[in-house]
Amino acid sequence: MTTSPPDPAVHVRDLRKAYAVHEKEPGFMGSLRSFVSRKTRQVEAVRGVSFDLHPGEVVGFLGPNGAGKTTTLKMLSGLLHPSGGEARVAGFEPRRREAAFLRQITLVMGQKQQLIWDLPALDSFLVNQAIYEIPDDQYRATMREFTDVLGLDGILKKQVRKLSLGERMKCELAAALLHRPKVLFLDEPTIGLDVNMQESVRAFVRDYNERHGATVILTSHYMADVTALARRILVIDQGALVFDGDLGSLAGQAGAGKTIRLQLRSPVTAQALAGYGQDVSVDGLSAQLRVPRAEVSERAARLLADLDVADLTVEDPSIEAIMADLFGHRTPPALERA
Amino acid sequence: MSRYLRLLRIFTGATLSAQLEYRANFVGALLASLGEVGVALLGLGIVFGQPGISSVGGWSFREALLVTGFFMLTEGVISVFIQPNMSKIADAIRTGSMDFTLLKPIDAQFGVSTRHLNVLRAPDLLIGLGLIAYAASGLSVTPGGVLGAALLYVSAVVIVYCIWLALSTTAFWFVKTQNVAELFNGVFGAARFPVSAFPLPVRAFLTFVVPVAFITTVPAQAMTGELAWGAALASPVVAAALFVVTRLFWLRAVGSYTSASS
Repeated sequence: MTTSPPDPAVHVRDLRKAYAVHEKEPGFMGSLRSFVSRKTRQVEAVRGVSFDLHPGEVVGFLGPNGAGKTTTLKMLSGLLHPSGGEARVAGFEPRRREAAFLRQITLVMGQKQQLIWDLPALDSFLVNQAIYEIPDDQYRATMREFTDVLGLDGILKKQVRKLSLGERMKCELAAALLHRPKVLFLDEPTIGLDVNMQESVRAFVRDYNERHGATVILTSHYMADVTALARRILVIDQGALVFDGDLGSLAGQAGAGKTIRLQLRSPVTAQALAGYGQDVSVDGLSAQLRVPRAEVSERAARLLADLDVADLTVEDPSIEAIMADLFGHRTPPALERA
Repeated sequence: MSRYLRLLRIFTGATLSAQLEYRANFVGALLASLGEVGVALLGLGIVFGQPGISSVGGWSFREALLVTGFFMLTEGVISVFIQPNMSKIADAIRTGSMDFTLLKPIDAQFGVSTRHLNVLRAPDLLIGLGLIAYAASGLSVTPGGVLGAALLYVSAVVIVYCIWLALSTTAFWFVKTQNVAELFNGVFGAARFPVSAFPLPVRAFLTFVVPVAFITTVPAQAMTGELAWGAALASPVVAAALFVVTRLFWLRAVGSYTSASS
């Protein structure tokens, strides 16, 4: 971080968020007890996160479920008030939610939707055009661009409730970016989408980033999202930032290899496979094992030669697997910078 | 200001188009409107149908009908303009779609208060106005009385809006709050009769605790020219005070928003 420009797009120092949550024992009696007197407990969802993003930078924000990713994004977009620390986005303090700030950001959440359910997406776009006061010519230009890149032709005039999940997500993205925000917070934008749809969402985000120089923070469970878009990765675990660096050094640090999946024609024992890789598991005629990244093709070739293999696939470890490898059941290590 | 008017127009267009999607709903809503007016008139009929009863709390049948007219009109205002928006606040908080409202560069209170309209209940408005016109036609009403009633009715609508908003805003802490709408409806049911028809303690409650008296009785009195100046001034003052208080309450609620998880 030697070339940090004086005015980062996102500046976060020691950001914290504590929630009061109420606990309930299971069952009806538990509910009754909780109705009469609530036990609350303070939970620190985010504890002291710091980082800076340059304008135009794309970062992947990773971590296991409940690590504090969404809470951080919500604080940066101004939805949640931090309980401590400092955040500045595009030069504004997010929690004040000034109109000038809100015009420069957007938050896309894969599991929530803003489109009007009973109307075609185009109607929701017009509402957003009015809300953001987008001039007509800019609106038309942006729509042309988005229709082109996202392939929106033919779906804009269908009622949103009749769209497939993937089509709806494309429209959600278009609605969220119609005002050409400078800072994008994308929370699981590809969740539940098939591979083709994931790819077009990625292509759109990449294109938008290049065309408009927008800063992007992206969370995702799909490795491919992150590898395709982000050079820099932030990993958050149990509310603390545990890694900030490029993707290669993350995978290297994790030591996570690739997973080879086998479909066999005749059964083999786990012992027979032990010589080919680690974490072998066999289930009937299917088996899987992990091999070091550098030796994938050599091991795969040996497997194909030695065994009666019907099908063989090589997969990247899921982010969850990398996370588990890295931070399994340990306490978070100190922040490492690559 | 003109920007917000433009937004109103866009919101109205969107909500109207959405409702035209469901035609069958229309019949149900029309039946509901007729049911409402039936119940209100039945109440008056029972009271004034008693032998020897020609006035209730000092109100003749026509005057009481005027109150019922304002009641129906208010029911209409609530069903068309207020409830469709307010009932969605708790939903939006529960599902997390409030996030999008709060991230728009417009005033969030304006956003949640004006996005929806239930045009299907618009007949209630006409029924209310019709009842008021019919009742007034048998009374001696001056143009000044009509103007006064109209102005005081604006305060009345502000009061109703503020009560609904305050009740709905509690959803920011309690999340599920459908029952507060029932609470309001329960108390507001009293507004179909003039407040002076109730015993003194109830009358005090309906004036000072839940200002129902200002919603129907006060405009009706203004129309018949029986309203004292003091009472006429109290209504806008109460409306303005409630507006400021609910605004502060709203801002506080938004500040403590916790946003449902992804």
